[in-house]
Amino acid sequence: MNPSEGAVGAGHAAFAEASPFGIESKKLAMWLFIASDSVTFAVLLFGYSFLRVGSPDWTKPFEFLPSVLNGMVMTVILLTSSLTMLGGVMAAKAGNQKSCLRWMGYTMLLGTIFAILHLREWFGLIHEGWRLFQNPLGGSVEVGTGFFCITGLHLMHVISGVIALGVIALGYKRGRLTAGHVETTSLYWHFVDIVWMFVFPIMYLLNAK
Amino acid sequence: MASNNEPGMKLYVGIWIGLIAIMLVEVFLTYQHLAPRMLLVCLLALAFFEAGLGIAYFMHMKYESPHLLWSLVPITIFVLVLLDHIWPDAFRLARMSMR
Repeated sequence: MNPSEGAVGAGHAAFAEASPFGIESKKLAMWLFIASDSVTFAVLLFGYSFLRVGSPDWTKPFEFLPSVLNGMVMTVILLTSSLTMLGGVMAAKAGNQKSCLRWMGYTMLLGTIFAILHLREWFGLIHEGWRLFQNPLGGSVEVGTGFFCITGLHLMHVISGVIALGVIALGYKRGRLTAGHVETTSLYWHFVDIVWMFVFPIMYLLNAK
Repeated sequence: MASNNEPGMKLYVGIWIGLIAIMLVEVFLTYQHLAPRMLLVCLLALAFFEAGLGIAYFMHMKYESPHLLWSLVPITIFVLVLLDHIWPDAFRLARMSMR
């Protein structure tokens, strides 16, 4: 019997080899997305860091109160949302649907609070005269460009994550999606949290007065 | 498919506290009047440590197959190192175009 006959004889089992990575395909796809997205953020953060260190007329717009403190509160909120997401995954794996949905609800709430605080920060800066290509303090315009672009991209990820969590929670509640889907979505949420671990020090702390 | 010896909420809360403590150290360093270059290096080192904790425990990489780690992480780090290698030249070109 040649190999092709063997594959036909074995039916679908011939194609159902175990994953070399030991995880479901959707989880692997999420990991690949995270790897590529981390490069996207790295490009922006690397570029911004070079500009920050290399520009002699760089302006530092952030006072401890309210901006740095606001950033610290946002960091704690996002870290806490990762914790509640872990609670959701553990509940989903244990088959406790009600508890999982409650934890996911907390995560979405914390994500929404983070986005509101972020937008409040943005509007405060815009009110002071900061724009994409305008520095009201008279220094390098790249301060505002970098801040709005990088934090904007991160904020977009947070808002997308809240929406994704809502969709997954709904599907899980209706029984269309499984604990595996909840776990895969949690990877994205933790990634958004980890990106903030870089955005906060580079965007806020390096620009603190 | 991941191993069953995954940690409980107690460890996660410990990591959460650790991450908040690192964030407080970052803020402390910010007000120590370090040179921008030095401050950037310190903040990045702490951020990479935070990211490592997050990936290992929150994202369960520590409990997945080592194949996943060795397939994803070295390649991603290699790309980041290449970026870091090329960026100074892009910065030089940007400065040249301003003149």
